[in-house]
Amino acid sequence: MITHHSSPSSGNVSHESASTHVTGEAVYIDDMPVSEQLLTGRVVTSVHAHARITSFDLREAKNVPGVHAVLCFKDIPGQNQMGPVVHDELCLAIDTVTFIGQAIFLIAAETEQQALSAEKLIKIEYELLEPILTIEQAMEKNNLLGPPRAMERGTPDSALRSAPHVITGELRTGAQEHWYLESQICLSIPGEHREMNIYSGTQNPTETQILIAEVLGISMNEVTVEVRRMGGAFGGKETQANHVACWSALLAQATNRPVKIRLFRDDDMVMTGKRHRFLTRYEAGFDEHGMLLALKLELNSDGGATTDLSFAIMERAMLHTDNAYFVPHMAVLARVWKTNLPSNTAFRGFGGPQGMAVIETIIDRIARFPKKDALEVRNKNFYGIDANNITHYGQKIENNRIHAIYARIRESSDYYNRRKETDQFNATHEFVKKGLACTPVKFGISFTTTYLNQAGAHVNVYTDGTILINHGGTEMGQGLHTKIRQIAAAEFGVSLERVKVNATNTSKVPNTSATAASSGTDLNGAAVKNAIDILKSRIAGDMAVLFSEMHPDTPSRREDILFQDDTVFDSAHAQRTMHFDDVTKQMRLRQISLSASGYYRTPDIGWDKQKGWGKPFHYFSFGMCVSEILLDILTGRHTLLRADIVHDAGKSLNPLIDRGQIEGGFIQGIGWCTTEEIKWDNRGRLLSHSPDTYKIPTVQDIPKDFRVEFLQDAPNPGTIRQSKTVAEPPLMYGLSTWLAIKDAVSATRDHQIEPDFSLPATVEMILLSIEKLKHAPVRNAR
Amino acid sequence: MQTTISFVLDDKIVTLDFNSGSSVTPTTTVLTYLRSLPIHRGVKEGCAEGDCGACTVVLGERAADGKLHYRNVDSCLLFLPMIHGKQLITIENLQNVQGQMHPVQSAIVETGGSQCGFCTPGIVMSMFSLYKNQHAPTREHIEEAITGNLCRCTGYRPIIEAVEEACVHHGIDHFTEEEPEILELLTSISHDSIHIQTNEQEYFRPASLKEACALKSQYPDVVILSGSTDVALRVTKGHEILKLVMDLSGVEEIQSSRELNGALILGAGMHLHDVAHAVEVNYPALHEMLSVFGSQQIRNIATIGGNLGTASPISDLLPVLMAYQATVILQRSGAARELLMEEFITGYRTTAREPDELITAVRLSPSPANAVIKSYKISKRKDLDISTVSAGFRLVLNDDTTVKEINLIYGGMAQCVRHAVHTEQFLTGKPWIRETVEAAQLMLHQDFEPIADVRGSAEFRMTAAKNLLLKFWVESLDEKMSKNILHISTRS
Repeated sequence: MITHHSSPSSGNVSHESASTHVTGEAVYIDDMPVSEQLLTGRVVTSVHAHARITSFDLREAKNVPGVHAVLCFKDIPGQNQMGPVVHDELCLAIDTVTFIGQAIFLIAAETEQQALSAEKLIKIEYELLEPILTIEQAMEKNNLLGPPRAMERGTPDSALRSAPHVITGELRTGAQEHWYLESQICLSIPGEHREMNIYSGTQNPTETQILIAEVLGISMNEVTVEVRRMGGAFGGKETQANHVACWSALLAQATNRPVKIRLFRDDDMVMTGKRHRFLTRYEAGFDEHGMLLALKLELNSDGGATTDLSFAIMERAMLHTDNAYFVPHMAVLARVWKTNLPSNTAFRGFGGPQGMAVIETIIDRIARFPKKDALEVRNKNFYGIDANNITHYGQKIENNRIHAIYARIRESSDYYNRRKETDQFNATHEFVKKGLACTPVKFGISFTTTYLNQAGAHVNVYTDGTILINHGGTEMGQGLHTKIRQIAAAEFGVSLERVKVNATNTSKVPNTSATAASSGTDLNGAAVKNAIDILKSRIAGDMAVLFSEMHPDTPSRREDILFQDDTVFDSAHAQRTMHFDDVTKQMRLRQISLSASGYYRTPDIGWDKQKGWGKPFHYFSFGMCVSEILLDILTGRHTLLRADIVHDAGKSLNPLIDRGQIEGGFIQGIGWCTTEEIKWDNRGRLLSHSPDTYKIPTVQDIPKDFRVEFLQDAPNPGTIRQSKTVAEPPLMYGLSTWLAIKDAVSATRDHQIEPDFSLPATVEMILLSIEKLKHAPVRNAR
Repeated sequence: MQTTISFVLDDKIVTLDFNSGSSVTPTTTVLTYLRSLPIHRGVKEGCAEGDCGACTVVLGERAADGKLHYRNVDSCLLFLPMIHGKQLITIENLQNVQGQMHPVQSAIVETGGSQCGFCTPGIVMSMFSLYKNQHAPTREHIEEAITGNLCRCTGYRPIIEAVEEACVHHGIDHFTEEEPEILELLTSISHDSIHIQTNEQEYFRPASLKEACALKSQYPDVVILSGSTDVALRVTKGHEILKLVMDLSGVEEIQSSRELNGALILGAGMHLHDVAHAVEVNYPALHEMLSVFGSQQIRNIATIGGNLGTASPISDLLPVLMAYQATVILQRSGAARELLMEEFITGYRTTAREPDELITAVRLSPSPANAVIKSYKISKRKDLDISTVSAGFRLVLNDDTTVKEINLIYGGMAQCVRHAVHTEQFLTGKPWIRETVEAAQLMLHQDFEPIADVRGSAEFRMTAAKNLLLKFWVESLDEKMSKNILHISTRS
């Protein structure tokens, strides 16, 4: 590998779009100039959670001036289907609706007002059916979305019987709305014959392309999907951007005019899925020192009306119920329940947070028995380096960084002294309590559907010495294109300014996986490197010939040709050097191709999903977070006084961007753990359907003292430039804030009683939990 | 009477008529208008209800001191005629003529303050308004300026850092140089009243109170626009076409405060931001409540009269105004009357205002020196949230021991904001000690049977209401201690 004195691949390079973000020049789909032919698309949706459609009449709506199409399921030329994995999701409802917000009709009109007027004139009659709106109701009716899944190691039943202490309990974790700032959007522009050009805010352009081809009844080579950037996604556009895309393409096909659908904020919140809410029952056995001996878990998630990605999400939840802890005997049983709510979907962490919340709750409870600080108990239970290092699904944990991180954070955060201070504070304050907690994160990196771990790239070099990168990943703010640009510049030995990353386009790089599972840089970066390696090899070969023609007596050898500092030179003959600009021109003259495709698949992973055993992950991300909060026990209001994070990013490609991912993920996790609460009424209507009632963190909710550091000297073997992804894992640091609040609540009864606690810890949940504690008698496990 | 509106955009006067061929109506929002222009699409719609700030722009206005003052506002909540006579500044205006970034822009680039970038133009505009108004902002100033801008990606830390980095130039920038020219342009815009009539709509923007009162008696059903943070949602979210509107933003007489015989008269058209400033010293509980009212962008648009007019049962302001025993002044052509807030609020979103009356002012009178007045707000999120329970409490003790007068006013506990009458009676004359306060907590059950809704369960509301009473007791023990309430122990 070429080494650089100031490698662009590890620098604090600003986001490649930062300068257009701050000037307002960055183009989002709604900002694109489109012809005057553009029509506005509107989706007409079900107002009932479960009902039979007995009749409908579209005639009046079709007659509204300016309305060009009103479509129903009969107007779909291809398949009426847009489920990403399981084909159980209708594009437009036929005779039954199964959730509020389900699409039934589509309208295209010249103005928004005309479309809204037409919507009012649609006549539809329903016959109401009984809806299922909670996990409990689904359990009663045994309404499963698919067969249960199980994972087991050892003999958990007998280990539980012989354990000195056993606790049982139940944990509820709430749904979470993505609240990407840019709502779901798609612009579809018909081309000639059957072609359709799609500008979609999708994390998965290939899947969008496939589904549009299926719905329109055309072939994949007639559909081009392009994504320049998304205004946030967080998993919410992994599958559910497909819906708006299919609908707008249908309208564009029907009218033969460009059609844009941009969901209003409330419509987006009502129609699209959320993070799955979970109800988990647990039974944990442990010894007098707090060592975990056995664990039995029953995970239940609310999948919503259709499958979407619910099973993959549940699988990741199951794979993260150990978090960073070794549990010798463990059984996990998981069920995904079908309800009459919008299909729940991917959200940063993808089940991981729900799985981790359970084990962290269990450890927190266990720590009350030996009357130790929970972090001591955590430390005892961490996966070992040489022993106790096999997960409950059989993967050996290599390069375990958790102990190094623990050693660092206990010092840097001064954790144990602050524990003493917290206890002292609480002993002298009645109406305010402090809480402190430290939680680890171990997060598996790879799609657990193994074949998805592949990526493609296409790299063009032009004769002015500039480079254009196409790859399969999409930019949603995470800085993927910035890192790709750094990787390309470093691999090519050229300055960053020469490299531009193109909008993601299915006609440039086909058959890609979603930008998801924290894999964007790992997979696409490696594919880009592969393309550049091919180009460099080709160029080096011809440059060796060229140099040899000039120096026939001492020919240059291909293997001595290096790319560095915007030049190509012969490392064996230092004078033989050519500026990169001239190299590209020479290659053209010498009939050498300056474009190449690259490809990457993650090596050495694979596992048996049925047995729940094997190596699903390429590597693990590690980190820890300490949160300290101050709680006003009369108002339930907490203040996050300080947060310390130590995060393992391998050899960070870009500390500026990685820190942004760590901080942003943590704050998003805090939102899930505290103020973000989704509520439905007893008819399945979303009550928290706007930012008026759904509360994501503001600037005032971040830690007053916010300290983030990277684990030092921790290059990651086997990944692009020894880096680690950041992406999803930091969200789970939010659990430390959640448990710090629980610690403060628990302090109101001097930690003698386990508080009733669920997630999110809203002001309401906190106050009512304190209220219950006030009157609770002291009780213990057996 | 004018039929057009004018404002300054891109250093030029823009005049809009609303003729039939026009693509804008008098209730087109500034956001929609800007996004219809080819070069002003940097401004974004995130929610269309003033809760996210992606649409933030800055308005430049000639202030009483003759200078231009800048305030950040949510452009989704402003109808076009509301910016008549003002300078509209968008993200596209921040670079100088050489194309150099404004300091607030380059700071965001350097600190990594943008990720997906969708909220960024709005954030930059809030930063710009802070840059012009606070030359050495504290963390509190920064938080206040940015609270109305939601960012889902960054976690805000680099944005705070960017503000700290940028705001070191004493507010100097190319706007400073252009100020005389802009002031001249603004001065040239007529402040006469405006009457816009289209096929579907009639929109009045009177220039005097007299005119406004006359219109109100002529059109008692006219929709009053005083700040528009509520009414605008009927358009942006309800997709309603408002047929008849009277916009009070041109009535300067009700947009300032004055002292009168020791009392403070707040014009009903005052923005809440200005109200907060006016009450900061003498009415601290009101000031404190205003600090958690909406966001800076909202407080820069919303007015105190508009807020009272909605008569919300979960009002932030009514309980504390009642605790201060404030009055409201209602005016009709040729006559005015003054009511206590308790008389003004008559039920669920209803008031004693007659159809031909306008709210013109709020009067705050000084309280006895020994009165303790506090305001509280329980909400899911501390800032930019609507109350689940709000409260305004007032206490006067006899000889520091027994309760002489007590007023306990709650929002969010009943159909309208009202006193906890039984609890007040129970406490009057009793010793102000923990035991009586704890007994009084139980009395609240006789006063209220709160409802459950998206913001909280009935049990939660009752628990919170009780806790606030105890909190008031703790905080009342010693005014000095109250400032450090989070650090005192009352049971040793």
